[in-house]
Amino acid sequence: MTRIPDVEGSDLVPRDPDVLSIGDRAAAEAATRKLAEGYEDRAWGCMSSRHKFCREPCPVYQVTRNEQHTSYGFHATVAAMSQGLVDLEDAYEQYAYCTQCGACELRCPNTLFTGDFYRNRTQLVQLVKAVRAAGVEAGIERGSWKQWNADTVTYRNEMQGDPAEVAGWADGLDLPKGGETILFCDCMAAYRQTKVPRAVSLLLREAGVEVGLMNDQWCCGGPALEMGYTDIYEQFARHNLEDWRKAGAKRVVTLDPHDYITFVEDYPRLFGDYGIEVLHVTDLLAELIEEGKLRLERPIPVSVTYHDPCRLNKRRGIWESPRKVLRAIPGLDFRDVDHVTQWAMCSGAGGGLPLALPDVAEKVARNRLEAAAPLGADVLASACVWAEDHLERVAAADGRMPVVDITVLAAMSAGLLDPEPWLAEVARHREATS
Amino acid sequence: MTVTYEAVNREAVAELVDICGTERVVVTPQGRLIRAMVPAPFPFQRWADEAPEVAVLPETTEEVVAIVKLANRLRIPIVPRAGATGLNDGAKPNRGGIVVDTKRMNKVLEIDTTDWTVTIQPSINMLKLNERLAPHGVWYPDDPASYPVSIVSGRIGTGGWSLLGSRYGHVRDNVISMEVVLPTGEVVEVGQGGGRKIRHSSTGYRLKDLFLGHQGTLGIATQATLELYPRPEAEFPAFFGYESFDAGYAAMQPFCRSNLATLAGVILFDERKVQYLRRDDEAYIPEPESLQSIVAVAAYGSEGEVAAARDRLMRIGADTGGRYLGEELSELDWASRHDRYATPLHGRSRDRAVHMSWHCEDAAITYSQLPFVKRRWHEIADRYIAEHEVFDNWGMFFYTNNAYKGWGDFLVEIDIGIWEQRLDEASWRAWTDLKREITQVSLDAGGSISACHGATREGEVELVPAELGGQFDLMLKLKRMLDPNNIMNPGKYLLDQAYQDGEG
Repeated sequence: MTRIPDVEGSDLVPRDPDVLSIGDRAAAEAATRKLAEGYEDRAWGCMSSRHKFCREPCPVYQVTRNEQHTSYGFHATVAAMSQGLVDLEDAYEQYAYCTQCGACELRCPNTLFTGDFYRNRTQLVQLVKAVRAAGVEAGIERGSWKQWNADTVTYRNEMQGDPAEVAGWADGLDLPKGGETILFCDCMAAYRQTKVPRAVSLLLREAGVEVGLMNDQWCCGGPALEMGYTDIYEQFARHNLEDWRKAGAKRVVTLDPHDYITFVEDYPRLFGDYGIEVLHVTDLLAELIEEGKLRLERPIPVSVTYHDPCRLNKRRGIWESPRKVLRAIPGLDFRDVDHVTQWAMCSGAGGGLPLALPDVAEKVARNRLEAAAPLGADVLASACVWAEDHLERVAAADGRMPVVDITVLAAMSAGLLDPEPWLAEVARHREATS
Repeated sequence: MTVTYEAVNREAVAELVDICGTERVVVTPQGRLIRAMVPAPFPFQRWADEAPEVAVLPETTEEVVAIVKLANRLRIPIVPRAGATGLNDGAKPNRGGIVVDTKRMNKVLEIDTTDWTVTIQPSINMLKLNERLAPHGVWYPDDPASYPVSIVSGRIGTGGWSLLGSRYGHVRDNVISMEVVLPTGEVVEVGQGGGRKIRHSSTGYRLKDLFLGHQGTLGIATQATLELYPRPEAEFPAFFGYESFDAGYAAMQPFCRSNLATLAGVILFDERKVQYLRRDDEAYIPEPESLQSIVAVAAYGSEGEVAAARDRLMRIGADTGGRYLGEELSELDWASRHDRYATPLHGRSRDRAVHMSWHCEDAAITYSQLPFVKRRWHEIADRYIAEHEVFDNWGMFFYTNNAYKGWGDFLVEIDIGIWEQRLDEASWRAWTDLKREITQVSLDAGGSISACHGATREGEVELVPAELGGQFDLMLKLKRMLDPNNIMNPGKYLLDQAYQDGEG
């Protein structure tokens, strides 16, 4: 079979100008063949069902209502590629419509009840990464992602921050370099959401957990991998692992779910078992609270609902510990939304979506904020600095509720941060919107 | 007259872009190929030939009207596509053309908590609709197996059937009125009489039914007003095991005639279905080999009513020799009724596990004829399986089929696995032959080809005139009157016959 012919007038519907191609058809064909070989069987597993139960929970589909932008759509395109009906030049653009949140994998009818009995689990996140990587390999890429990755290589962080200032957020905290437990401070947290790593550092010190900083922290590499830039990812990953080993690290505490999932899912694919325990800070804090090592005693009189970060809840099953932290804060009115209900929610900040399709990413965030609104909570809390930053911007533009990281709430309740300015800000917002 | 069509051309694409903007006009190969099919068996060996030329995603009635008028003017086929989760192939384009993909028309327009209606743009999913209705203490009870994904407009197009229909009615009972864009682009309100929220009227003809189950051949629903019910205070599912199909079949009758207004549905599993579920013991809680048939029942309603129904249903189970399979299995299995019973991963070709898609036959058959149909369908399926490695027999279900009662005719389902990856023209022909044989059995039994999906698929549509008799001639006349250019979903239900010389 050969690629299906274009319809007369199809040039009137322009392709996304963000997609660039060097037009190397041989490379594209080779990449398509490799993709089809790797994913054809799973694509047919999905196609054979065609039940599409993955569709309504997909946060991107909820915005576009285009069945191509779903796990089923992505698998169908692989099946079409395997038959030669579609080539990578056609297909690449579609695979930007994914935050890699994992909702579709949870809701796949093929495995929801049979588990992985047939060793044929739907792996949409891996498929999206593979198509994007195949594109890059064949000279097909997004201008926005290409530039972002080039900048990240230059600055070694995602924020284009001065590399010499990667630990600037810790000024005055007197944190050591190296040690058995390393605090990996995400790029966003290091340069913009600096209150979060400061709160985490104070909480861990209060609980008697000694943490050190990396000698020279680079980006975790996960976002590069999510966008298909495998070489850049590997460069970052090798550097960070070497830094941890030199520091004598036995465990790494992350405060951002994107770093966490990169270290627990992607690094082992590259390095095997690399012998370092990786924790997300909410698990550690919940444990310290339960053991009585961290006492949250100062009341925080606000109503809060919690946004489950996709990479914690949907992809790693971490949803209890953040709720334990929130429930431990006195005076806090916690208005929970079940973590399974939240399979259908997402901030829109992941998988390179805000760079490639900023309008779609904003609408995903808007849907999340709209879902929170009927609860009447003062504040939306989360445990992901990327989600918070993205939601915060959309919320501010729309006059929606303030957004906060649960570690900042915990630090205020532990008496480590003064809550009054923040409480006053929340009260002002409450009055303005009531 | 003979209708001829034009291919989508530059003028058509330019106008579609004017109507909907570039972001909602799809011309990419992958965007067209995915809209070539639905879950019904599909001839993948000729996938490219089946693709539409363009798809368009309107958001308003006005946009739909403009698209339909454009198609009429340029003589280009249009195919309405809703959720595309149907087990019949109504949303599959037979002549290329423009797919009108309505999924973006999903707004809730009014929740009326006084007269208990909800008015929607109908391409909203029922689960999502019920999330919006929950705070008001009401729900829309349409509950097909595709409940988490299918959308109301597709349910309208197929005249769908609900697993809870014996208690709450089916789609035709719960759609009160609709706004429909006719094949000429006119917009008409259809309902019971004239009022948008009137449930029963004797004014004029009952035209609403004409637009429920037309498979996209008579119009596109762009607004619908639906019935609301109080949310059930309680539900009680119970599964009973029997040592033979005959025992399960005999037990079904007293359950169906139990005189319980809360009875939502009764489902009988035959021995082949039980065997299928045993293929993968992680997919089904193991039961002793002596169990050969299952009867599942469910009651919904107020707490007091459901408590009383529970006692009566448990007694019927015991009196008919059924073994109650326990609360855990009953509750979990009922809760997973939407997606438990068909997974392509259970497919077997000559005992080898392969990915198979799913054909679901859905005839309406009276109780007395169920054993005859069961015997004949299995004979036919097994004969084809012996000859062709691409087919597999996944057993049968029998469901209560009628609104607000448990007796009468039943939805009879045989599930056939099809290894689509291996299809070629010869095996596709074998498939349609198999399909035609089992369809003929339904007619021999005095039944109807389809209780819920529709009957437009190759292998069954040829028998539709035989089933409908004079009603089919009336269908042809209505089609030609409403769609003079045969623009809307041409090639379905043999309706092209309406446009042959000397007709109409």
